[in-house]
Amino acid sequence: MKRRKKVWTRKRPIAVTIVAWGIFILFLIRLYQVIEPLIREGVFEHGITGPLFMGMRLTPLGNALLISATYLFLSLAGIVVLIGFLRVHRWAWLVLMSWTGFSLAITLISYFYGHPNYIVMASDTIIAFALNQADVQRIFRIRTDQGEHININ
Amino acid sequence: MNTSTSTDRPTMPINAPDLDLLRRYEPVIRFTKGEQFYPTDVERYVKESSLWAHYPDGRDELLVKQDDLTLESLVEQRPAVFGTVHYLRFIETLSLSESAQVLANQLRLRSILKNNFHAGVGRLARGGLLPRMADALFTISFLLRGRVPAASAAAAELDYFHMRAQKDNFVYYGRVVRQNDWVALQYWFFYCYNSWRSGFGGVNDHESDWEMITIYLYEGDEGLLKPEWVAYASHDFHGDDLRRRWDDASQLDLADGHPIVYAGAGSHASYFRPGEYQAEVHLDLPSWVNSAHQAWNKFWTNALGQQPVDPFRIPFVDYARGDGMSLGPGQSKAWTPVVIDESTPWVSQYRGLWGLFAKDPISGENAPAGPMYNRDGSPRGSWYDPLGFAGLDKVPPPDDTLRLLVKNSAEITTHQAQLESMIPEKAGALQALGIKLKSMEKNPHLAKQHAALEKKMAPMIEEVRGLRREYSENMAILEGLKERIEREKSGMGDDPRAHIRHLAMPVTTRRRRFDRAAEAWAAVSLSLLLFGIVGLVFFAPNFLWVGLAIITLLFVVTESILRGAFIQTIGQITALLAVISAIILVVHFWFWLLMAALVGIAVFLLAQRLRELTG
Repeated sequence: MKRRKKVWTRKRPIAVTIVAWGIFILFLIRLYQVIEPLIREGVFEHGITGPLFMGMRLTPLGNALLISATYLFLSLAGIVVLIGFLRVHRWAWLVLMSWTGFSLAITLISYFYGHPNYIVMASDTIIAFALNQADVQRIFRIRTDQGEHININ
Repeated sequence: MNTSTSTDRPTMPINAPDLDLLRRYEPVIRFTKGEQFYPTDVERYVKESSLWAHYPDGRDELLVKQDDLTLESLVEQRPAVFGTVHYLRFIETLSLSESAQVLANQLRLRSILKNNFHAGVGRLARGGLLPRMADALFTISFLLRGRVPAASAAAAELDYFHMRAQKDNFVYYGRVVRQNDWVALQYWFFYCYNSWRSGFGGVNDHESDWEMITIYLYEGDEGLLKPEWVAYASHDFHGDDLRRRWDDASQLDLADGHPIVYAGAGSHASYFRPGEYQAEVHLDLPSWVNSAHQAWNKFWTNALGQQPVDPFRIPFVDYARGDGMSLGPGQSKAWTPVVIDESTPWVSQYRGLWGLFAKDPISGENAPAGPMYNRDGSPRGSWYDPLGFAGLDKVPPPDDTLRLLVKNSAEITTHQAQLESMIPEKAGALQALGIKLKSMEKNPHLAKQHAALEKKMAPMIEEVRGLRREYSENMAILEGLKERIEREKSGMGDDPRAHIRHLAMPVTTRRRRFDRAAEAWAAVSLSLLLFGIVGLVFFAPNFLWVGLAIITLLFVVTESILRGAFIQTIGQITALLAVISAIILVVHFWFWLLMAALVGIAVFLLAQRLRELTG
């Protein structure tokens, strides 16, 4: 009888699930941020009726479309990262860690200039610590199995 | 002559004269291209030097001027107050114009000799931004510490070149010591100058340099001496780590039965393998800084799973490439051997420094004392205890090993036989007392006797237990000895490196994609950072902190890309920012966090108890 190929599966660490849920919730928020400016400007009801530029400046409609497009890009990027993250791709860990680091830096600068955003700060902190877990780093091949060294390339 | 990795052991008669023994095993030294100083004779050096005394009140006095000083006048008795330091001075103080002239002549000489050193990937690129900042502090510390003047190395190089032009003489000072059935051959090398800092980006410079290697022989079959171990004095290594076995071909290069030494460029430290060695200097910091650093590293590694960070470690490279001049038997330059011992006057009677006393409190720039003494005039360990120096005081010569093993085994076996009769005897006596004790129980009128007997039995119980433990331990030792004897009898050797705890190995010098850029960046980054800060202060003072954060981030990211550590750096930066954010959140929401923790504990306990109740 032909032997079946043994499929090895590793249990996904809880931190990965937490981060994945975080990305999904962020996706839903971004989706709302895509739709909200368009609703505000009545794009769904009347379509794009007015001009997008007034001279060198954006009109309110143009501004709404730009914001919507930016958030659309971010939400799509979030979905791509989520897929990469759930499929345990190394690049997904790197993108997420870089993004979290960037977001934390902005949040901290805002905090020190008197504009704190504690919710973003807390969620970024949780994601950063979750991504730093040894078993998360091992599953994404950021750290070797001995747990002593982090791959540097 | 080719380098061989032969395990042949050239033999010598046990009664061979010391000079013959020294000559038979004298080493080959391979230097790095660019080296300026080679082992020379002390006589000419002393003649070129003046003798000085530095007194505790800070005064320096010239005792014997240059050209008048000889090895005989050097050892004359010179009574002095406590705290006086006698020292030689090879290079006199140079004026500004003399310094400029000397530096120009040095460049000319190097271009004529075509003896230039190329660092390759230098030490700065081998450490991160934080070690480079510590390195800058170390460099600045030379402004406060005593140091050898900048042009001294150049003047010493020129003087030594003239000495060589008169007589090209390469000397080792050999000494033969017989201790505990070992014959130790010590080879001492004297250099006019250590130019590690000025010539090769190392830790220090100092006038004169003494280096040493030792070869350990034992009496083998037919009264012939055979080499077994070789020890090279080196930075940061002590005892067992200094020595290699003669037959360890992967660690010891031999050239027709002569060990090969790879000398560090400028430092003249001795290495077994050619290559570039990373030496590390730790800044001498207050204990509270060290404690805080340790606590942070513990949190950083244990709690956050990051790699430990040591910004107070400055990497220096000791280049022992072996691509320069080769000195010794069969090489282009041969040795002139000189036998020394305690009866050699300049060895035993001059306790001063062999070069400038730079008044450096951490001694790095002060010249060393002679082969027999430390800088403070105390006896040098490697001189009076050549076996202990390389951790050989506990190692018998190979031919004695089996005899000592059998002797040990026989002694333990005899003792075991004694224990075998002693233990039942003592245990029997204990049992008899035990029965007596039992019979006293439940008799209130015997309470006192019961307690007394119990007290009497306690040490006996301990003794029997101890004897049984000893018997059991001896059995294990005997097993080990038996195994070891079998190995010895069958001729199975040990791992030649089993005794080494820290093996000095050259660092890999593989080229990386951004080596050139990394090197250039390492050289200019710190200055650029400081320029950037000054620019922010003058041109954008309102954005000082944001600008500082952005500049630092840019520098760190650039550094990580060039060093091939981008992922690691991103992880570390984010972890650090997360720690800062966590502290801010705790400070602002400590009450709610505490409440949440209490609710969490309450829910957990409730769930546990309910499970117990229903289960």
